[in-house]
This record gives sequence, C-alpha cells and structure tokens, in this order.
Amino acid sequence: MTNVSLSTRPQKSMVATSLRIALYTVLLSVAALYLLPFAIMLITSLKDVEEIRTGTLLSLPSTLDFSAWGKAWSSACTGSTCDGIAPFFTNSFQIVVPAVIISTVLGALNGYVLSMWKFRGSEIFFAALLIGCFIPFQVILLPMARTLGWLGIANTTSGLVFVHVVYGIAFTTLFFRNFYQAIPSELVKAARLDGAGFFTIFRRIILPLSTPIIVVTIIWQFTQIWNDFLFGVAFSGFDTQPVTVALNNLVNTSFGGKEYNVDMAAAIMAALPTLIVYVLAGKYFVRGLTAGAVKG
Amino acid sequence: MASLVIDNVKKRYGNTSVLKGIDIAIEAGEFLILVGPSGCGKSTLMNAIAGLEDVTEGRILIDDQDVTFSSPKDRDIAMVFQSYALYPNMTVAENIAFGLEMRKVPKTEREQEVQRVAELLQISHLLNRKPSQLSGGQRQRVAMGRALARRPQLYLFDEPLSNLDAKLRVEMRTEIKKLHQKLKTTIVYVTHDQIEAMTLADRIAVMKDGEVQQLGTPQEIYDNPANLFVAGFMGSPAMNFIPAKVIESGNTIMLELTTNTIETPTTINTIETPTRLPFPNAESLQSHIGKEVLLGLRPEMITEPQPHKAGLEFTVNSHVNVDVVEPMGADTMMITRIGNNEVNCRCHPSYNMVVGATCEVMFDTSKAVAFDIESGQRLD
Ligand SMILES: Nc1ncnc2c1ncn2[C@@H]1O[C@H](COP(=O)(O)OP(=O)(O)OP(=O)(O)O)[C@@H](O)[C@H]1O
Ligand SMILES: [Mg+2]
Repeated sequence: MTNVSLSTRPQKSMVATSLRIALYTVLLSVAALYLLPFAIMLITSLKDVEEIRTGTLLSLPSTLDFSAWGKAWSSACTGSTCDGIAPFFTNSFQIVVPAVIISTVLGALNGYVLSMWKFRGSEIFFAALLIGCFIPFQVILLPMARTLGWLGIANTTSGLVFVHVVYGIAFTTLFFRNFYQAIPSELVKAARLDGAGFFTIFRRIILPLSTPIIVVTIIWQFTQIWNDFLFGVAFSGFDTQPVTVALNNLVNTSFGGKEYNVDMAAAIMAALPTLIVYVLAGKYFVRGLTAGAVKG
Repeated sequence: MASLVIDNVKKRYGNTSVLKGIDIAIEAGEFLILVGPSGCGKSTLMNAIAGLEDVTEGRILIDDQDVTFSSPKDRDIAMVFQSYALYPNMTVAENIAFGLEMRKVPKTEREQEVQRVAELLQISHLLNRKPSQLSGGQRQRVAMGRALARRPQLYLFDEPLSNLDAKLRVEMRTEIKKLHQKLKTTIVYVTHDQIEAMTLADRIAVMKDGEVQQLGTPQEIYDNPANLFVAGFMGSPAMNFIPAKVIESGNTIMLELTTNTIETPTTINTIETPTRLPFPNAESLQSHIGKEVLLGLRPEMITEPQPHKAGLEFTVNSHVNVDVVEPMGADTMMITRIGNNEVNCRCHPSYNMVVGATCEVMFDTSKAVAFDIESGQRLD
C-alpha cells in the first residue's frame, strides 16, 4: 500500500503541476486578449499625433503626453461646440443618478409586493413584466417619442430619466423579486402579527436584508444607463446629450487630421465611471448574483 | 383571554384540499393541543386562525367576534412559528421587543419586558446576538420569547419545543404550564410529543388529512379513542390491536383470540391456545357475533400475573411466546405476536421473561375497546 502510494505521488503531482500551468496559460492569454484593446487605447491616448502616424499600434510613447486628455476633457469639438466632453459628463450624471435611484426603489417595491404580498393574478403580472426585459430598444423609439411629447418632457433630462426608469423597471423588479422569493415568507407573517404594516415591514425587515441585491441592481442600472447611446441620441436635446452621444460627435467631428489620441482619451474617460463602480462594488455583485442559489 | 370558534373551516390550494371542514370550539382560557401526522394541516390551521392565510370557506370567531376577514394585527394573537421566523437583521433583544414597539409600548417598559422574558427562557446572555449566531434550540427559545413578551388574547404555538434537548424541554413544558395557569390565556399548541400533549392539554384535537378525528380531554382520547387512527396515534408505545373473534358463550359475548406457544425450546411445533376474554359493554358487539374484530388493548393492560387482580371480572391469564424484551427502567416491554400482529406487554422489571420461551401474562380487558376491521370505527 505505502509503496504504491509513494511511487504514484510524484507522477500525480507532475500531472497536477502541468494542468496548473496549462490553466494559468489559458487564463493569462484570455486576460491579455481582454486587456489588449484597453492597453492600446491607453498607449495611443498618451502619444502625440505625429507618433501615432509613424509608430505601430503597440509601440510605446516616447514621452508621457497628457495634452490629449486635457483637450478631450475641456476643448475638443463635439459637433458645433468645442468645450470637450466635460459638460456632457454632467448631463450623464444628471440622467443616471435619478434614473438609477428611481428604478431601483420601484424595483424593490415591486419585488416586495410580487414575492411577499401575492395577489390574484400577481404571477401573470410578473410574467407580463418580464416580457419588458426582451423588448428591443428600437421597438419603443417611436411610441416613446410620442409619449414624451405628450408629457411635455421631450428633449429634456427628465424625459431621458423617464425613459430609462420605464425601461429599467422590468429588470430591477426581476432582480428584487427573485431575491425576495428566497426570503422565508414567515418573516413577513411574523411581522404582521407583531403589528407592523406594509411599509414598516419593508423598511425594518426586508430592506436591511437587501444590500447585496441593491448593489447588483445599482451596478446593472448604472452601467446600462451610462452606456446607453440609442435613447440618448434619440431623446436628448442639444444641451442634454449624455456623454456617449458627445463621444460619438467628438470622434466624428474632425478638422483636418484625425486626432486618435484625443478620441482614445475621451473614450477612456467616458468608460471610467462604470469601471470605478465595478471596482468598488464588484465583490457584492458576484455575491448578490449567487445569493439566491444558496440557502441562508 | 378569549374563546375561539373554528366553524367549518376549509382551505384549498388549487385543487388540493388541505383543511376539509374543521369544527373546533374552545372556551376562554383553554389549552388546546393539535396533534396529527406530518402534513395533516396543523400549521395551515394555525395560519388560518392568525389570519395569515385566507380560508376558502367557513368562519373563525375570537371572543364571539367574527374575525374571518380581519387582518392579523387586529386579531391580537401572538404566534411561535414552526420555522421560528426570527428577523435576521435584528438582535435577540430587538426581535423580542419588536412586537411591543409596533404596539407603541414605551421604551423602558419594553426593556423590562425583554429582561423578564429572557430570564424565563434562559437566554439573557444572548440578548445582543443576531439569530444567525444561535443554535437551533436557542433560536426556538427566542421565537418563544417574542410571543411571550406580549399579552395577546390568544397564543398560537407551532411545535415550540421541538428542537430543545430533553432536559430543557421538560423545563420549558413546566414553564408553559405555569404560565398558562398564571395568565389563563387561551392557547392553541401543536406538538408531536405525546407527553407534551397529555400533560399540557385541557383538550386534544387529533387531526388526519385535514379533518379532526376526535376532540376531547387527554383522558377521553386515551381511554375512549373514536377510531383506530386515534387509538394508534396517541400513546407510546401505541395501543395493541389484536384480531379477535366475537363469540357467544353461554349468555355472554366474549372475544376469542389465539395465542401461539412453542411447547419446548427444542421443538418447532406450536400450540394454538384459544383464549377467551370478557369484554365490557359486550352487548354492543351483538351484531358482530361470529365475525372478526380488532381488539384494542393498551400495553399496560397486558402484564405479568398480578395476584391482587386475579379473579376479577375482566382479567384472564394466558401464555404467550416472548419475542423481544426491552427494559425501560420503570417497566420492561415484552413483545410477542398474536395472530399476525405484534403485541406490546408492559411487565414488571423483576418478572422473569426469556426470549424464545413462553411466559404467563394477564390480560385486563376492563378498558378494552373494539374496532371494525374494515372501517376502523369504534364498535362499542
Ligand atoms: N402553499 C401551499 N400550496 C400547496 N400546498 C400546500 C401549501 N402549504 C401547505 N400545503 C400542503 O398542505 C398540507 C398541510 O401542510 P401543513 O404545513 O399544515 O402540515 P402540518 O400538519 O403542519 O405538518 P408538520 O407536522 O410537518 O408541520 C401539506 O400536505 C402541504 O403540502
Ligand atoms: Mg406544521
């Protein structure tokens, strides 16, 4: 017995080691594949126009030149104005922050009702709401334009907030409802017997348990709304354009030669907020996504 | 303190009928125990009383008020859930105080109440913990504490002691009994524990498949079970069911059963000895003369021959084979076979019984009951 195990051990560990090596090779190359475009963007944004024209994609900049970043931020031309993307950053935040908050709150309330206060037809209601997740953006463009016009909020920030809230509710409700489904309904029953009402139970018992799913929903909604281009281009006015639309304008507006370094810097800056949200809350994201899967 | 009337309550989930017309009425201050096999609808009935599940049909009255459609908080009920249902984000103290807070009890009073309940349930040292940091038995006591902190009209306890160790369970049982004697609050209590049921209850309702089989005092249920199910469900070990033939001997109706005995340990010949047992209330078996019935006899009614009972009207001695001997301390259970059924006999520990041999036992039929073999209904 001992002999056998002694003789097989080195062999076994050699297999294990080579498997390990193979695994890391695959992981590293996939990581490189994903990071490469970002690396190229970063490198390019730090070169000047001359270097970009003469060098290759991957050649490193000779000096660290941040002038493209400064230009992209405050003086690059986006269509008819030349104030960089900074003002549009503000626009984006003015759309994203209220839209994320409102859609998350509504989703939490919907999920609470659909899992803890089931009523006749609530399952059908939920199924109908789910269909909302599968409606492509393009389909609602025209009806939504009519609706916004009729509400008198066409081409305004409130209009965009409204669109994103409406479109986001299906997703946020789905998240919260599935999360709450795993919370034992006895909690609500006990609280009702204790004399607590609908909102008290939500605030005192359900909400404190919801941190993981709130984080997931906020990340999801923030990313979706920040990165949205179609609604932004279709429903924004001249001075309410989100940063994605401005980025597109910046890239398409050129006088003379193309300034790839400015384009890249602007693109990186436009992507930065979602990146930061992921880094700050990423671990909750993974935890929240798997929360329903395990009991307790 | 309030009376409780459950009037023909039915509950259906889609096509499955979980409660099939429950009728129970208890007085103010009564202690009702619900027993029944798993899945028979006990928790569902508790939820219906609390107003947490709508009933499909029927009425529920608390203190003569029809509360069938009232919301749970207006019924003034405190409940211990089978699954505890502790609020995970609150500490033990907050859990216990929550109901008081919702009912606007001032803070100092709440704190006093939490202390009192915690001492009663021996959880004072746990007050600052979260439920996730407690053992099952500790959680159960917190759940109990949450209910006891309030003084409602009606307590509903769904297996409140099932997770405690034997010693603590006995202590808590006594505490509950004392509490009931002191407060006289009406209590409905679900348990699977025979002793809990017998010791705590003013009345016991035995349920099966969403129907009440029998509602009566513990002694009634024990001595006078309405049917085979109730007889077999209450009592541990369960009542013996012995196939017996109703015969007419002279002027009296008797039950005849056949015990098998082996002549000596070396032969495998069995001797079938017919034993005739007298039966109280024998006239009720008139219509079954010549037919087989099931004789129901509690284990303590089959014992070693007891001199002081010899020659009484309802005692008969006979011989049986000893299959298994189980000493239990106070008595020794001897298991034998009569017909095809296993029979438990409760004998004195000093009585000499050898496995495989025969021994003499005394049947005392003064409390015997008889059931129809097919329907399981009481005959006498
Ligand atoms: N929401 C529901 N939908 C369908 N059937 C249900 C539902 N809730 C309970 N039941 C069924 O009702 C029956 C009674 O359940 P209940 O929980 O009342 O049993 P119980 O007597 O309390 O059992 P236990 O002793 O195991 O606690 C079970 O067969 C159960 O499957
Ligand atoms: Mg139950």
